Amino acid sequence: MAKAATKKTKSNADDYLRMYRQMVRIRTFEDNANQLYLSAKMPGLTHMYSGEEAVAVGICEALTDDDRITSTHRGHGHCVAKGAEFKEMFCELLGKAEGYCRGKGGSMHIADQSHGNLGANAIVGGSMGIATGSALRAKLQGSDDVTVCFFGDGATAQGLWYEVMNMAALWKLPVIYACENNGYSEYTKTEEIAAGSIMARAEAFGIESHQVDGQDVLAVNELTQKLVARARKGEGPFFMELMTYRYHGHHVGDINREYYRSKDEEKDWKDNRDPIIRFRAYLVEQGIATEEEIEAMNAEIETDAAEAVAYAEKAPYPPANEVDMHVYAD
Amino acid sequence: MPRNETSGFRPHDVTMPQLGMAQDAGKIVSWLKAPGDAVSKGDALFEVETDKAVMEVEAPVDGFLTGVKYGEGDDVPVGHLIARISDTAEADAPDEDGDGDDAAPDEPDTGSTAANDALPEGHSVTMPQLGMAQDSGLLVNWLKAPGDKVAADDILFEVETDKSTMEVTAGRDGYLAATLAEAGEEVPVGDPVAIISAGEPEAPVARSVKDAAPPAPPVAVEDTAGEAAAEASRPSATPAPTGTDGRVLASPKVRRLALQDGLDLGLLVKAGHPQPFHVADLDTLRDLAATREAPAAQASAAGASRRLTATCATDGTRQFCAWAAERHGLTDAMAVLAGLAAASLGAGDGVTVAVEHVDASRTYAVPPGRGLSAVAESDEGPALILRDLRGTRLSGVDMGAEDAPVLTITDDGAGLSITLECAVAQLDAPGAIRLLTEFAGRMEQPLRHLL
Amino acid sequence: MREITLSQAVNEALAEEMRRDETVFILGEDVAEAGTPFKVLSGLVEEFGTDRVIDTPISEPGFVGLAVGAAMTGARPVVDLMFGDFIYLVMDQLCNQAAKQHYMSGGKLQVPMVLRTNMGATRRSAAQHSQSLQALVAHIPGLKVAMPSSAYEAKGLMKTAIRDNNPVVIFEDKLMYQDKAPVPEEEYLIPFGEANVKREGRDITLIATSSMVQVAEKAAVMLAKEGIEAEVIDPRTIVPLDEETLLESVKKTSRAIVIDEGHQSYGVTAEIASRLNEKVFYHLDAPVLRMGAMDVPVPFSPALEDLTVPTPEGVVENARKLCAGEMIHAA
Repeated sequence: MAKAATKKTKSNADDYLRMYRQMVRIRTFEDNANQLYLSAKMPGLTHMYSGEEAVAVGICEALTDDDRITSTHRGHGHCVAKGAEFKEMFCELLGKAEGYCRGKGGSMHIADQSHGNLGANAIVGGSMGIATGSALRAKLQGSDDVTVCFFGDGATAQGLWYEVMNMAALWKLPVIYACENNGYSEYTKTEEIAAGSIMARAEAFGIESHQVDGQDVLAVNELTQKLVARARKGEGPFFMELMTYRYHGHHVGDINREYYRSKDEEKDWKDNRDPIIRFRAYLVEQGIATEEEIEAMNAEIETDAAEAVAYAEKAPYPPANEVDMHVYAD
Repeated sequence: MPRNETSGFRPHDVTMPQLGMAQDAGKIVSWLKAPGDAVSKGDALFEVETDKAVMEVEAPVDGFLTGVKYGEGDDVPVGHLIARISDTAEADAPDEDGDGDDAAPDEPDTGSTAANDALPEGHSVTMPQLGMAQDSGLLVNWLKAPGDKVAADDILFEVETDKSTMEVTAGRDGYLAATLAEAGEEVPVGDPVAIISAGEPEAPVARSVKDAAPPAPPVAVEDTAGEAAAEASRPSATPAPTGTDGRVLASPKVRRLALQDGLDLGLLVKAGHPQPFHVADLDTLRDLAATREAPAAQASAAGASRRLTATCATDGTRQFCAWAAERHGLTDAMAVLAGLAAASLGAGDGVTVAVEHVDASRTYAVPPGRGLSAVAESDEGPALILRDLRGTRLSGVDMGAEDAPVLTITDDGAGLSITLECAVAQLDAPGAIRLLTEFAGRMEQPLRHLL
Repeated sequence: MREITLSQAVNEALAEEMRRDETVFILGEDVAEAGTPFKVLSGLVEEFGTDRVIDTPISEPGFVGLAVGAAMTGARPVVDLMFGDFIYLVMDQLCNQAAKQHYMSGGKLQVPMVLRTNMGATRRSAAQHSQSLQALVAHIPGLKVAMPSSAYEAKGLMKTAIRDNNPVVIFEDKLMYQDKAPVPEEEYLIPFGEANVKREGRDITLIATSSMVQVAEKAAVMLAKEGIEAEVIDPRTIVPLDEETLLESVKKTSRAIVIDEGHQSYGVTAEIASRLNEKVFYHLDAPVLRMGAMDVPVPFSPALEDLTVPTPEGVVENARKLCAGEMIHAA
């Protein structure tokens, strides 16, 4: 309550600029990660968040560091939005010792507990229990923090969600289920895997549900602020369906994807519904920032990212003696 | 077999090809070439039929089709030899057995087995293992010549390692059909040194180690110590034998303990003790070794004995005994000798030693340790006999094994000659060597005993 | 010393830890007023209320997932899984989520939770309520696995499990809930990774877990009458495993039988037997034998079910053979 109140006293301009900045940071991070991957400098498997920035930023800007989130395999955006630093993130992506998880998690398990990010999860829907458990803990311990559970439309097909929604609703847990509906469940159109309405599923448990334009950071942020405040008062849980779009394929290597979606469709989202372009125009139009200020901000972020990548590339790998470290906690 | 030695050409085998996954034979439908025909690489030789397909088999190289073994209509197992491509039209046929085991195309054909081919059939006598860290022995001299008739306990040759010389007996009655090393040559442990044939050899062989072909001759490995029991063909020098006729089944622990205690599990095998052997069988094994005295005495007549000799340049004991008597009141020289002998046995427990002079015989109990003052006379049966023949005319003995190992001391010029004789069951080869080496050392420099 | 049942011992352990640490709570099906079908938790809800003894819907993956999240954020949940057979339902939450969080986060996240469940056949509960699945979870790095063999162990191990900062799975033998054993009034903990030598002997080591400890002890009494002195060792936790005590015992006796109620193939017995083989091979005077449940789904019919579990008589017969040096499997 107190935290939400202080947030409102800040000037909107600062909040807006910070939201814009965070969205650009995510896009820039992903562009660099994509290049690292394509140039074979980054091992493994990675999933780009580009296009969905307004969702992560709109939600996380309504949260404090005490609030928790659980993330997904497409989790870089959540991590940046929740306050993570480029350097530790790139180190993690490259498997370096200075990464957030000392190189043991990588892209799909990046976690940043210092900002309340309980971690990305490589099992689709795998974190729904964790998020709800975090909310249960908050309720049992009389803590007013809220947990946001990010997941995609594909994860709505997992049975776990219905089990935990049932308990969250029964016990009025401070959890917000945030479904990032980007239209595709891996390589399949969502309409082919989801019967009926996704919103209706949450509503069936008596959970208040909202659908929102996931490309409109202000709309997302405004809705989230309201829901978070109510969740803190014990009015949760809530469900948000955020209509958004992923610019890349399911993962970086998913290049030839015309068999499941057209280039025209991708172009339309990028040209006409891009969350960053839209918000930038709004900021200029409202006189919150000039084009020059925005360009300067973009350039600064580019430089930050380039420096962080260079740092991570040179950073040492974890020593061999860490391989069996952290299996068990002391 | 005739070979074109200059060109290095050798016949190429033509075998039944594998044409399908579950096919084990093929039928020769027709021959397209006749024996003796010149063929070029790639020429179709014959047609083969399997379940569904007919295929032509081609010549693998240029040459002449020879040794055709199967005709049209014959079913031939996959991989079996059908014919050869030779460098002449007159080359020989494939082996009569036709089992295909000479048909492997990559089989090395060294042509160097001519010497081996000439080796007579028989039991081979191998270079014994005389020490734990020894991998060869020096053949000192032959005491029998190729073609000689030999008895099982006849000494064939003498072998020398660091410090000892050992005589190796024939191990069985027969004829010395082959000598495979010459005096002065080093022979790897376990390699054959001689072949004993049952019948008189037509052409006895005498060879040097250098002549030996890599493969061992096709004879059973026989106990180097000359076991009378021919059916138990296990080397007795290693505690856990792996004979040519199978493994000894024994638990890991009993193997370890037998190795530590220098016990030979082969004794249990010979005694027909049921396998697998366990730790509990060690008691039986020890009993076997101990109670084999009577059988050992008999066996010694049949050759199951060890005889080792050593020489000392000087005899240090006379001076030492005088010194011990004067300084320490140890006036019984026989007791001193008993102490030296017992310590040479290296047993942790006390040992009873009988010392025999020409005119006296006493038995002493020697407690553990090196102290000589505690050696006392005893009534017990000796574990070791020390026969002191210094000052007699005897220069050496060959008396065979007795109830306990016997160390015989004779004069040898200014020094001594010491012979150890024992039954195989009384001491294993390393134990016998250790005993004689230790004792000879003490006789030469008795002060060593006290260090 | 007073004697209490295994059920009472578990109940006491939970009550003591819940009084000591208010972040400890219980989550599961029918754990509150019902006190579980085995009545192990009876009375706890009266003392601690429904906020700390929480009845869940029949949603095993869901409530285990909740426990993982609660543990990651500062609570110490004790999850009650009504039957060990339901572990299959919660494998993702237990093995992909709970077991790996600490490692995947480079040591930043911890999951201090307890999953208490049960094992054991011969309760005529058939194939889906009788399994002993400890090997499944013992295979997963990051999980600890405790297997109490009496009320004393059940209490001491439970208290240690609750204080441990890792996910711990405790398998209680459902047939032992009413078995009594001496349990001190005063507080005690049983450290993980410390085997208990239940009986000393020189001839053969019987390594037994949970329900099989009683079987081994009975076998040892029978063997003693034949002059065979069996040493009985209860590892108490199979992860971590007190290898040292097991190895030292087998060095002494040269023979061992490993007995566990899980299926014999690819099981706990195989793991322990293999370690003995690797580490004390040259002290073995006989092959190490495994005795587990038969590799069949647990049958319902009592006549069949009783055939599937190791018995004292079976242990005696095998021990006798090993000590006599008989070949167990002809070559």
